[in-house]
Amino acid sequence: MTDVSYPDVVTLAVPLFVAAILAEIVWIAVRGRDGHAGRYETRDALTSLLMGTGNVVSGLLLGFIAWGFFMMLWQITPLDLGTAWWVVVLCFVLDDLRYYWVHRFGHRIRWVWASHVNHHSSQHYNLTTALRQTWTGTFTFMMIVRAPLILLGFHPAMVLFVGGLNLIYQFWIHTEAIGRLPRWVEAVMNTPSHHRVHHGRNARYLDANYAGVFIVWDKLFGTFVAEDDREKVDYGLVHNLGTFNPLRVAFHEWVAIFRDVTRPGLTLRQRLMYAVAPPGWSHDGSRETSDQIKARHRAAPPGDAEGPGLARP
Amino acid sequence: MPLWLLATIVVVGLAAVALLTHLLGWSRARAFVDEAEAMRAWDREFSADPARRADLLPGGHAAVVHSVRGTGLVWTMGLDSTARPLEGARLQQTRRGLTIRFPDMAAPSVTLPLDPSERDDWHRRLQETLT
Repeated sequence: MTDVSYPDVVTLAVPLFVAAILAEIVWIAVRGRDGHAGRYETRDALTSLLMGTGNVVSGLLLGFIAWGFFMMLWQITPLDLGTAWWVVVLCFVLDDLRYYWVHRFGHRIRWVWASHVNHHSSQHYNLTTALRQTWTGTFTFMMIVRAPLILLGFHPAMVLFVGGLNLIYQFWIHTEAIGRLPRWVEAVMNTPSHHRVHHGRNARYLDANYAGVFIVWDKLFGTFVAEDDREKVDYGLVHNLGTFNPLRVAFHEWVAIFRDVTRPGLTLRQRLMYAVAPPGWSHDGSRETSDQIKARHRAAPPGDAEGPGLARP
Repeated sequence: MPLWLLATIVVVGLAAVALLTHLLGWSRARAFVDEAEAMRAWDREFSADPARRADLLPGGHAAVVHSVRGTGLVWTMGLDSTARPLEGARLQQTRRGLTIRFPDMAAPSVTLPLDPSERDDWHRRLQETLT
């Protein structure tokens, strides 16, 4: 099979993204800003949209690297599952499992976090936040996690197609305008409620709900935390940015890694840990990882120390 | 979709979002109403190093915070806020006020709008915390 092709669904969805963002703005304006419909801030929204634009441009400039790697794998694999509809569905589900792990690595390995951090750098949670995407994903080498799919016989074009569908699904869940959905939907699918938790900087919400489309992965691998109505989600990073400059948003963590790795007086292991240990790791304990932040909150007075997201590992 | 059409949709979309949010008043910068609010904003960023005292700057867009471990600055970012310790920061007087440069690419600098009379005073007070 050589002439497999699928539409570039993400590009085709751009007009839908724009229309939905404008509709959400109008909805929030009508419902009142202090309600539960969400918040917008002009510079924050523009930064998010410019990050999304840059993500498309970086894909145009660097996409050939991942594509070349995938086609190389396709040449060596003896397996070819074809293009039947059920193969596409199976590919979509397995790719969502792939997304879960890449996303989890993105929060637990600083090298990958350096690329993903920009998606969490807004203190707002609205549809523009969904488009606040990385410019540097290629440099994380997470394309490797897609290798098993291609070696199993899913064509690279199909793998990228279902990846695009996954990204489109995740657009609409970046909103406060939708509360909770019917129980069966919340049980199986990633929803605005589940993903709000993922964007939270509250101790109990850190490193939770990595799912793309199916929340069942988090339930299966022990990373699911339900949104708690008693604790409103506080969006953003543990230490929030002091800039709206998209270049700084895109590259600040890479620069921070470089500065840490090249500090004088460190051992080789410490330099390596600054690149690959969980975000917040430091050789002298001067910073906190998410595990340490959770442990500190567990040690807080009773009442704040228990419940989902703060259980002992 | 042709690239020119995609680019047009993106540019028009960006402009529409900017215009609409600005007209709705969502580009107005937040200001801290008092020291207590500034301290809460600090504690939100550095919960392991809580604020003990805050000195609000004129206009309420920033405050110097004295915490358990040292001194820092908390300032508004659009409708929200952020904060950084002042350790390693550099001060520079400008026509608009006082610019503080942090050794941090994620929060490179903040300019505090101050009158000339206030500028000298705050420069001196901040300089004292850095030495």
